[in-house]
Amino acid sequence: MSWLSRLANVFRSGQLDRDLNDELQFHIDARASDLVRAGRSPQQAALAARRRFGNKLALRESSREAKLFPWLESLLQDARFGVRILSRERAVTAAAVLSLSLAIGAATAAFSIIDALVLRPLPVPQPHRLVTFTYPRLRALPGAPPDEDRFSYPFLERARAAAASQVELFGMTVWGPLRSVTFDSASPSAAEQARVQWISGNGLAVLGVHPALGRLLTAADDQRGAQRPAAVLSYAFWLSRFGGSPSVLGRWFSLNGAQFQIVGVTQRDFSGAEPGWLNDLWLPLTTYAPPRTLSNPGFEPFAICGRLKPGVAPGQARAVLQAVFANSRKEWAADLLGGRVSPEQAARYVEARLNVKSAAQGHETLVRWQFERPLWILAAVVGLVWLIACSNVANLLMARATARRREMAMRAALGAGRVRLVQQVLIESGLVAAAACVIGLAFAAWITPPMVGLMGTTAVPAFLDVSPDARALSFLAFLGLLTTVLFGLAPALRASAASSVEALKEGSDRHSARVGLLRPLLAAQVGFSFVVLFVAGLLLISFHKLTTVDLGFSPKNVLLFSLDSGGPAVRSEQALSLQAQLLARLRGLSGVQAAGMSQWSLLGGVSTPIAGPPVRFPGQRVEPSRPQFLAVSPGFFTAMQIPLLSGRDFTEPDTRQIPSSAAIVNQAFARRYFPGQDALGERFERMVDDEGNFGTEEIVGIVRDARYNNLREPSAPTIYQPLSGMGGAVEVRTAGNPSAVAVSLRREIERMDASLRVTGVTLQSTQIDDTIVQERMLALLGSFFAVVAVLLAAIGLYGVLSYSVLRRTREIGVRAALGAPVYTLVRMVTADVGLTVAIGVVVGQAGGFALARYVASLLFEVKPSDFWSVALPLACLLLAATAAALPPALRAARVDPVVALRYE
Amino acid sequence: MLVLKILARRGPVHGYGITAHIEAMSDDMLRVEEGSLYPALHRMEEEGWIKAKWVTTEHHRRARLYEITASGRRQLEQEESHWRAVTAAVGHVLQRA
Repeated sequence: MSWLSRLANVFRSGQLDRDLNDELQFHIDARASDLVRAGRSPQQAALAARRRFGNKLALRESSREAKLFPWLESLLQDARFGVRILSRERAVTAAAVLSLSLAIGAATAAFSIIDALVLRPLPVPQPHRLVTFTYPRLRALPGAPPDEDRFSYPFLERARAAAASQVELFGMTVWGPLRSVTFDSASPSAAEQARVQWISGNGLAVLGVHPALGRLLTAADDQRGAQRPAAVLSYAFWLSRFGGSPSVLGRWFSLNGAQFQIVGVTQRDFSGAEPGWLNDLWLPLTTYAPPRTLSNPGFEPFAICGRLKPGVAPGQARAVLQAVFANSRKEWAADLLGGRVSPEQAARYVEARLNVKSAAQGHETLVRWQFERPLWILAAVVGLVWLIACSNVANLLMARATARRREMAMRAALGAGRVRLVQQVLIESGLVAAAACVIGLAFAAWITPPMVGLMGTTAVPAFLDVSPDARALSFLAFLGLLTTVLFGLAPALRASAASSVEALKEGSDRHSARVGLLRPLLAAQVGFSFVVLFVAGLLLISFHKLTTVDLGFSPKNVLLFSLDSGGPAVRSEQALSLQAQLLARLRGLSGVQAAGMSQWSLLGGVSTPIAGPPVRFPGQRVEPSRPQFLAVSPGFFTAMQIPLLSGRDFTEPDTRQIPSSAAIVNQAFARRYFPGQDALGERFERMVDDEGNFGTEEIVGIVRDARYNNLREPSAPTIYQPLSGMGGAVEVRTAGNPSAVAVSLRREIERMDASLRVTGVTLQSTQIDDTIVQERMLALLGSFFAVVAVLLAAIGLYGVLSYSVLRRTREIGVRAALGAPVYTLVRMVTADVGLTVAIGVVVGQAGGFALARYVASLLFEVKPSDFWSVALPLACLLLAATAAALPPALRAARVDPVVALRYE
Repeated sequence: MLVLKILARRGPVHGYGITAHIEAMSDDMLRVEEGSLYPALHRMEEEGWIKAKWVTTEHHRRARLYEITASGRRQLEQEESHWRAVTAAVGHVLQRA
């Protein structure tokens, strides 16, 4: 009650003052009237009563202190005063708030993305006990993590049994394509797209997820044979698809011809164990594939995660599982590898180390793997921008603090303590920071979704829950506080340091006005913005080089249709004639220039297989490295505009040969295996089946190198084979705008055969863009922040120079009157700042090189030490600095001695 | 303590009344300084030992009357017993020394 009433009193201190006054006055009057009764004259009585009473004001003050929190009251007073001061200087305040909110908003956006993707633990009890397992890949896969994390079902079962006392294991599929799901119907016509994960029956329970409705999957759901296996919905999907209706429990859906019964909904905040991917449906693991496929140890689609038993260290669990892993691999090696690898590779396969990793933040995803480093780089850039904004605002406030020295001196002279003065200025800064936080939050909410969008591709979209939560808000509050201290403390100390005598003397400081304390701040600003510019420049140059890389084919106006030909077997007479008919039909359409078909499209990202079957040359051993393979239809090279250098394209008879006997190779293949000779007409042998039989192929054509699955690496030796059936991709080169005909072409393709479904349409150029999402995001956001940084630095520079010219107007006037040439005057005001900028650039360059080391792995054909890497940011910065310095310099040059001397 | 005692005996009294009572009862031996009375009253009010209300006197003036609360009575008892203990101790020392 006490502190509450004291708190309340703070806000009604006016009323409190009146009450206290009344009460004390009553006392004086009462004593006076007593004295009158005792025989004194009224005047004497009043005087005596007041004398007796003493200092009424002091008494009132000490009573007040009992009645409220004095510190809180002074804070409130300062806040009110601060608002008045800030609203009086609208331009300065607006500039400060705006630049800070930009920086704070960007930082909050970066934080919420990094938090959602990397930092935030899964919303389950004891997430730090969750682990996952990986092992090194036999062959590095460009654009994918170096470690593989998929296991087979037989291995999962063995591991689960062997390590039961150390860790409770479960398997799950990792992110995959959207699946077509039909609710309450077996017909695929009303299919909708959903993100589906297959997970061991105990998986959700081991994770520690609770049902919001119904039940979760249980170990019993892993038993095969249920007519309708159980399925669990995510909370978000339940809300969006079923409006959160409890009646969902009775419903069922079909997927790939199988039917599932909905038995429950997961807890509200759980959207899956994979950051970057929100899941809609969970199904029992055993329904992922038919039993025969599942029991094949070569079928490895499952990630293995688990929860450590209490008191078990990750290493202990690993030791047990390593033995299982090695034994299983030894047992299965012969089957899985066949004769296709060298003995060393086979040994490496068996001896591979099983790694255990924490899964507290969820299972690793491609999105996280790709974007963790870019996001930290981005965070560093945003942090620098934030520092620039802080020093910019500090600059503005410093200039103002100097202008307010007289006010401060006056307040000090009236008895305000130094602490109180610092408090006053800090509160003003706090108000600015608070306003910036509010606007920054709105800014963050606005830019975060597009930033997440930049991280996704059409093939692998990124899904992140970045709605502002308690973590983001506390980060924001912390940032606001830090901001206040960072930009507010220096001006506060400066303002409070005013010596009253000196400051109150009119005009005494006119000649001592130099840039002074503003200089280090300015240098810091320039330095930080140079670092941002430098790093952004590297990213931009690298991105530019990637987008202009010579592909070896022309992606312009090429439409890609992904096919799912469920019906006819891929290699049947029927499929072959369908291929020929389809291509002939497409080529006959108006607006189509050329059409071709291939097993998969070029540059399809990580989904493009990188190596085909083993190859050997007649009478020689199997080549240690396998060339890339791609089966293509006749006309594919024309459609892609890959020039045929010698020989011929495939013909229809080629496609009828099974196994094929004709092959077309690229230049890299010819150079590698037939250096200095003509490869045309040469033969090689290729493994054609799983038994290790080889078939002979003749090189009938040589085509130009074309990028296959990666923009960064030069073309590897590639063998093109005739496509003897239906492929997975149709390439159509259109005459005009491809988007305009995409829909009608899709319908045309699907009309060819009932079994033919187009699962996706994209542009070849889009597909290429999708392989460089990291680089694009970094280049885009990096340049955006570079612009912001330079703008802020330029504003800071302009502010300092204008201020300096203003304060030295009289000095300049005197010099001009004494005949100083204009350029000396300009040099006088700019030399100081020029030196500061130079120091900033040098320090910034050093910082830039340091930061560039973390960026290096993302760069393509550009080095931090390249001429343009340094020249570009330097030119930008100098340009901005000149532009910012020009107006104040001109003002200095135009100072009229007469006006300036009368300035007093 | 004296203030609380007065309030406990006399019921609602205003600040000047308290001064007058203490001075009258102690035969002007104790003089209450206004400079310490009012801050003390307000502090006790915030502690919840006394409560105050505004009334209008017969001369149409606003006066503030103070009244002891239950917790104030407890406090008074404590302080009285403490006081008696201290004075008794002091008495002992004076007698024996």
